[in-house]
Amino acid sequence: MIVAERKPLEDIKEMIAGYKKILIVGCGTCVTICWAGGEKEVAVLSSQLRLASKKNGNELEILEDTIERQCEKELVEALKDKVQQVEAVLSMGCGAGVQTIAEIFPDTPVYPALNTKFVGMPEGEGIWVETCRACGDCFLDKTGGICPIVRCAKGLLNGPCGGTNSGKCEVDPEKDCAWTLIYRRLEQQGRLDTMRKYYPPRNFQAVIRPGKVETLQA
Amino acid sequence: MKAKEAFLPDIIAFCCAQSAYQAADTAGSMRIPYPENIRVIRVPCAGRVDVLHILRAFEKGADGVLVLGCHEEACRHLSGNIRAKNRVQKLNTLLQEVGIDGERVEIFTLAPNQGFRFARIANEINERIKELGPSPVK
Amino acid sequence: MDNGLRLGVFLCDCGGTLSKATDFLAIKANLEKLPDVTYVSISHDLCLERAREAMQKDIKDKGISQVVVAACSPELHENDFMNIIQAAGVNRYLLSMANIREQCFWAHPDKGKAAKKAMAQIVMAINRARFLEPVEQTKISVNRDVLVIGGGMAGIEAAIELSNLNLKTTLIEKEAILGGKLNQFVNLYPVRVTPGELLAAKLKQVDERQNIDVLTSAELIDVSGEVGNFSARIKGGNGEFVRNFGAIIFATGYNTQFSSQIYGFELSNNIITQSQLEEMLKSSSEVKETPKSVCFVVDISDEHSRVSTLSALRNALGVKEKFGGEVCVLCKNLKVDGAGLERLYRDCRNKGVLFIKFDIPPKILKQDGEIRIEVEDVLMSGEQVSLSCDLLVVEETSIPPLDSKVLSSTLNIGLDARGFYQENNVHLYPVASNREGIFFAGNCHADLDLMRALTEASNAALSAYQLLAQEKITVETEKVMVDPDKCRFCLTCIRACPHHAIQEVRVNHEKMVAQIVDLACQGCGICAAVCPAKAIKSKDWSDEQILAELELLGEYV
Repeated sequence: MIVAERKPLEDIKEMIAGYKKILIVGCGTCVTICWAGGEKEVAVLSSQLRLASKKNGNELEILEDTIERQCEKELVEALKDKVQQVEAVLSMGCGAGVQTIAEIFPDTPVYPALNTKFVGMPEGEGIWVETCRACGDCFLDKTGGICPIVRCAKGLLNGPCGGTNSGKCEVDPEKDCAWTLIYRRLEQQGRLDTMRKYYPPRNFQAVIRPGKVETLQA
Repeated sequence: MKAKEAFLPDIIAFCCAQSAYQAADTAGSMRIPYPENIRVIRVPCAGRVDVLHILRAFEKGADGVLVLGCHEEACRHLSGNIRAKNRVQKLNTLLQEVGIDGERVEIFTLAPNQGFRFARIANEINERIKELGPSPVK
Repeated sequence: MDNGLRLGVFLCDCGGTLSKATDFLAIKANLEKLPDVTYVSISHDLCLERAREAMQKDIKDKGISQVVVAACSPELHENDFMNIIQAAGVNRYLLSMANIREQCFWAHPDKGKAAKKAMAQIVMAINRARFLEPVEQTKISVNRDVLVIGGGMAGIEAAIELSNLNLKTTLIEKEAILGGKLNQFVNLYPVRVTPGELLAAKLKQVDERQNIDVLTSAELIDVSGEVGNFSARIKGGNGEFVRNFGAIIFATGYNTQFSSQIYGFELSNNIITQSQLEEMLKSSSEVKETPKSVCFVVDISDEHSRVSTLSALRNALGVKEKFGGEVCVLCKNLKVDGAGLERLYRDCRNKGVLFIKFDIPPKILKQDGEIRIEVEDVLMSGEQVSLSCDLLVVEETSIPPLDSKVLSSTLNIGLDARGFYQENNVHLYPVASNREGIFFAGNCHADLDLMRALTEASNAALSAYQLLAQEKITVETEKVMVDPDKCRFCLTCIRACPHHAIQEVRVNHEKMVAQIVDLACQGCGICAAVCPAKAIKSKDWSDEQILAELELLGEYV
């Protein structure tokens, strides 16, 4: 899922400086799961902003709402009543969510409370790591399900490089060498032949930005 | 000249029913005095206390908040007191971010028969909050 | 505006004592002015029958919907009050209490300030009462069979106890025979029979009972489900099979290990472990060279182990009996803190076993095939003592049984720092695991002598019986519940629950959500606090109730 992290409060305070009534919108999908922008985080941020403005002697009224997904036009449209009551919207969704709200309500400034970091998965309680870069030209069939674009410091397709050191990476000795992991995985599956093939440089134009996927109507 | 009224802090103590709440009872049974301005809210486990509860306490005018739970490794729910400790740590940051002194929130561990310890903690926090003065967001 | 709230406030002045500190009538008058408060009464003794009957009558007559009691600590009578209001027709969870005795008048000598605080406490309880929610109780059918894992003394005793209580028990044992350490010990203390005799007697009891199913050479692979409905996968001689149980007792015992690292030398033909000595003593064949002097050393690798001290003492007696000769026990602490064990020490002394107590571990040297020990005798004011012996018997450390780690992880039951099973709370729940319905007995979780292990086995059996005594168990439904509409299935609560009480279910044939297992839930509310979507509500400690109690901040100080 998409993993995001809340911006420092100072940055958020700067964005909403001067407004007296705002709406904070949470998202019930990815950012709830990575504890960044769900209903709970919306409540925590509201509380902090109210405390901050009270301390500075400013007026600030905050409306709160969390919708199932911010990247869906119909679901965002349901916020209409609340958006009309406020001067600005603070979105706790990922970048896609912020932009959807901004597009549906072009008259109202919409600000991002989160930094969208990567596509990833949980590694332990409260820890998420990047596993996919959405490069558009998936290589995982050739590497036993371990992505060298994300996990190899050099992004090699025909690794390992000469610097691999006891399973660790020479660029960042804290990191595992992705190609050592790939070797072991392919060995476990009896697929080392895959690694003996040469793969030409990848197609960096696989996704022309901004990317677009079109399918026929179902 | 009118004498300035001494500041009486409004302090909330979230007390875990397995330990701290009983310690407060013990303090009362043994008639060990502690400040009256510390009010107890009973919770089933220190791990029930949410970051949100404490932030709202400050919004509503608390000058200080105590979270009191079982000693480490004595939590009946195994990780409740450790979670509470992590949350209080997170709160120190959240409060600093809004310009409230993190010292206004603290977590302590107790056993149910530690009436003296409860009273001592209550007195200590009361003194500390008196020094810090009223909450800047009252 | 009728919001359906008709709060009844019952004040108790504790036999008139609290009225001396403050004017209860004034408090009553103030409370009656509050919105939603229908009725306020003052009693001298809500703990007595007549006052309780009056309370029930008041609740019925005035149509009270939620009850607030301002009296002594809820830790004392909360359950009683819950029963009273239930008898009066109000859901037992619609009760809020203010602790104006222990946490107010008793703790604060300044009566004026105490009275002000009492008022604040009562208003806090009233505010909370506005958000109380009813919790229903229901009876659910449970499986009343019990699985006992481990056929040593603790397991056998638990099975017998359960059988006496008319609960059908399955006893599984990894080895081909039952008995555990009893097959290894040479003698027993304080019981005066041989291990063989005791085991035979217990096994006869097991055989006589129709409701104990013994499976040897059988191992537990995995358990799914929750208390009242566990599904255990067992591997036996004929392959794997599944059986269902209501409760599980672990009695898997311990293993022993000699640490050559700690001692600084390896075992040899004249340096052996307790286990090896026991084999030697039990063997009917003649020993090649009868040792004329035997030394036991304990408390070097673990000075807290009761088991190794008791082994040394029992085996010292065994050596005296079989070989005669000189026997000496070197120890740091003589741990004879169990029934009859002081007599074990005296028996050793009476039979001529010498004891040397040390603080600093003795130096052990092998010279020309002989073993020399140099030790500072604490009881002789640190005098250096030098002895030699033919045979040195060293202690083994108790280590957890081999499958503990795997079972702990698959079943989600905790291990302590040494890798033994972790009880829920050493003082309050000594035989319970962190999961409802799973218990421990014996040395698989603690360092016990035989008598204690047997007592624990009874305890564990009774604990299982407490749960499964009835065909159906009364359980509170949805006291803590997940709102399936708000649940995002992020798995946070499932991972955070310390009691493994949350499971994954599919609703409406499509969506996966978390669901709390009522029978296994212990009400801590940790799940409610961690849920990032605020989808979990704990009905008797809800956010609304807690926040309502905070309403008074800034007002009553």
